[in-house]
Amino acid sequence: MALLLWVWLGCTVFVLGCAWRAYRYASAPEHLRWDLYPVAHEPNAYGGSYLEEKDWWTKPRHSSLVREAVFMAEEILLLRGVWTHNRRLWWGSFPFHWGLYLMVAVTFGLAAAALGLGGQPLLLALAVVGGLGGALLAVGSVVLLYLRARDPKLRPYTAPVDLMNLVLLALLGILSALVANGGMEPVAAAVADLAQARPVSASTLLATQMTVASLFLLYLPATRMVHFFSKYFTYHAVRWDDRPREAGSALDRRLRAALDFGVDWSAEHVRTGKTWAEVATTLPEEKSAGE
Amino acid sequence: MEQQRPTGVEQEGLTTTETPAAPKVKAHQTPDDVIHLMEKDQTQDVDTLVPLPFPYEDWKDTPIPTLSDEQRSRFEVGPDGVSALQIPKPATEEEKEERVAQFLAGLAKLLDREDNWTFLQPLMLSLENCVKCQTCNDSCGIYTDSGRAEMYRPTFRGEVLRRIIDRYIKPGGGILPGLRGHDIKVDWNMIVNLAELSYRCTLCRRCAQACPIGVDNGLISREIRKLFSQELGIAMPELHTLGTVKQLKTGSSTGLNPAGVADVIEFAEEDIQEKAGLEVKIPFNKEGAEYLVMHNAGEFLSWPENLQAFVIILEKAGVSWTMASEPVGYDSVNYGLFYDDVQYSRIVLKHYGIAKSLGVKKILEGECGHAHKAAMPVADRLVPRDMFVPTESSLVLLEDIVMNDRIKLDPSRNDFPVTLHDPCNITRSMGIIQPQRNILKKICPQFREMTPHGVDNYCCGGGSGFAVGNSVNFPDWRTRVAGRMKFRQILNAFSDSIGPETNKYVCAPCSNCKGQLRDIIRYYEGWDRCRILYGGLVELIVNAMVDVPEGFLEWEFH
Repeated sequence: MALLLWVWLGCTVFVLGCAWRAYRYASAPEHLRWDLYPVAHEPNAYGGSYLEEKDWWTKPRHSSLVREAVFMAEEILLLRGVWTHNRRLWWGSFPFHWGLYLMVAVTFGLAAAALGLGGQPLLLALAVVGGLGGALLAVGSVVLLYLRARDPKLRPYTAPVDLMNLVLLALLGILSALVANGGMEPVAAAVADLAQARPVSASTLLATQMTVASLFLLYLPATRMVHFFSKYFTYHAVRWDDRPREAGSALDRRLRAALDFGVDWSAEHVRTGKTWAEVATTLPEEKSAGE
Repeated sequence: MEQQRPTGVEQEGLTTTETPAAPKVKAHQTPDDVIHLMEKDQTQDVDTLVPLPFPYEDWKDTPIPTLSDEQRSRFEVGPDGVSALQIPKPATEEEKEERVAQFLAGLAKLLDREDNWTFLQPLMLSLENCVKCQTCNDSCGIYTDSGRAEMYRPTFRGEVLRRIIDRYIKPGGGILPGLRGHDIKVDWNMIVNLAELSYRCTLCRRCAQACPIGVDNGLISREIRKLFSQELGIAMPELHTLGTVKQLKTGSSTGLNPAGVADVIEFAEEDIQEKAGLEVKIPFNKEGAEYLVMHNAGEFLSWPENLQAFVIILEKAGVSWTMASEPVGYDSVNYGLFYDDVQYSRIVLKHYGIAKSLGVKKILEGECGHAHKAAMPVADRLVPRDMFVPTESSLVLLEDIVMNDRIKLDPSRNDFPVTLHDPCNITRSMGIIQPQRNILKKICPQFREMTPHGVDNYCCGGGSGFAVGNSVNFPDWRTRVAGRMKFRQILNAFSDSIGPETNKYVCAPCSNCKGQLRDIIRYYEGWDRCRILYGGLVELIVNAMVDVPEGFLEWEFH
């Protein structure tokens, strides 16, 4: 029963925590444009934008979701940025991330198996993928642990809690590989128990693995590891957000509303206690309309 | 005889982007070590600077001057012994504590959805998602060419700010701060150093481009500047008191009032007649013109040939255009972009208000990188649509004029080595890459690219207002450290003809970049040793114009 509650607690905090972080980002006010080139959906491979066109505001846009998807796929699957700019780290980061990807895939596979889908071939595939994922996660975590602890450019920026996180993930990887090595039938059964809120029947090894995994899920939303979804915002809502403002659009309405926000900054040249519109249209020695 | 770059000594096989390891920099082992950097004097040792390529193997940098006792008694310095801000020393300990409390209050406002709606979302994302992988580090020319000084690492400022937020602003900051990596004590010395270090980053955003997660450490530097300006009234004097404040008061950060501009224009008209044989009356306040042309007024005083070249091209191409005589309307500068949203907004709204009142169809941004960014993408979210006037880059119009043969050109007049410096604000922040290249390829037979270039360019080292930072020992740091990468790039681009026998031209379509190029070429003796000149794009175009007598470009360093 304790395991059932622990896993449910971990999953619930993970979902709610991630949702809260995502909500904070998504509900932040519209910001001023801060795009950064190359912008993946633009057609010019050299990083050119629509601002290169004469009378750009009269021309049709040629934005491509496919180019964005290809860029993101390379970034997520190959860790292209780290490969290009930080090769030493890539040797740890690549197996680390792929270990996590495979374990997430196994989790979905187990959910399918718990629903009675896939049969033995699925369980066999999950054992292979789960074993590989666990091994990659363990190897990646150990390499990153070494680099974080020894590399002079990483060590000063690494907190004890970061090292503890990597130790825990290395342990999770090892446990997951061992669990997979024993076959996935008992794991699928345990997942079915969890899904139906029944006391979980699990070996000590599996129970330990599930406990550690849930612990990870419990604290993940409070960490920088939320970049698995916040990266959506850093790219789509900032770097690649090159939408021109159009009169009457939802964007236009939100930006107009922002001009009514209050300003509390205290420096002399700012007129604290006014709205943004008032502050932006008058100098400190002038009076705004209505004063 | 032409001095050639000898083979076998190409910096031991290094390309421009590869940087030798720092010879003397201490490795910092713990998070505490790094934070303690903020408490020590880390004066930049010029011996740790990256060596320059041929023909500068024997180059010896002079040390960055230290501040006099009298200067030190009056204002604070950064951890590197440099003062960009001239922050007055508080008279008492109580005053220091009061300023620290103000800083923390400002930090809370920086994270508030109303006080900082302008950049809250990107700031939050950058503060909360950096995994400190240091993938961005070597993208920063200041960091690498300083010899990888820790305090210039792109992540350093963000790390300090993040720890302060986690410790002092977020709930539960006092719980296990050592374990969680934010055991930090904020005092006056700490915030002075943070303020100064926010002015050791040119906001070029090359580090952001390299970040796989999309974190923008350049933005963090900008937001730190904003906190100090909008809450404590601390900013680089050349940007604030002598910049935006002066611009809003007199009409221009140069101090030019409308009468002064009239003098400049009269002089320009005479010069155009003399040099180009063109009798022209520069149009002002012409209602309904197609373009309101806005220049960085720094051009009027430092590089009047740029203004003159624009006039010649626009007149010869038959463009309908005007300039504005109303204060602020004749100066496209908007230093608020670099440090203060309030000042930025005031100037942007002035610019658009003037354009609207003249009834022009478009605004045309002259050769000024930050003015492009301030007036185009960033302003797009600020200016209400009933005030909005479409804005275009002059590079785009010039491309149209040159590539469609609207003026007659003879490229053989520009038959000397030319390379292009890409202003970060026009390229990396706006994606305007190709127009300027198309022009140069057409009119300069010996055009060659720097490595890297385009969106991957390096900042000139004068970005984010550094080029106008001329107080105390800041310009000494700016030329030796911030501008070193650009000078290395220039030398490499001209390596086939580096000797003084050949005149060479660095084309920089940006006023602030030109200011920085002038200073680094002067410091490194680039004109005397290598005959490297710098200038804008329009000067090259006019120099190739058949309708203009030869010799518009004067090979004199200024």
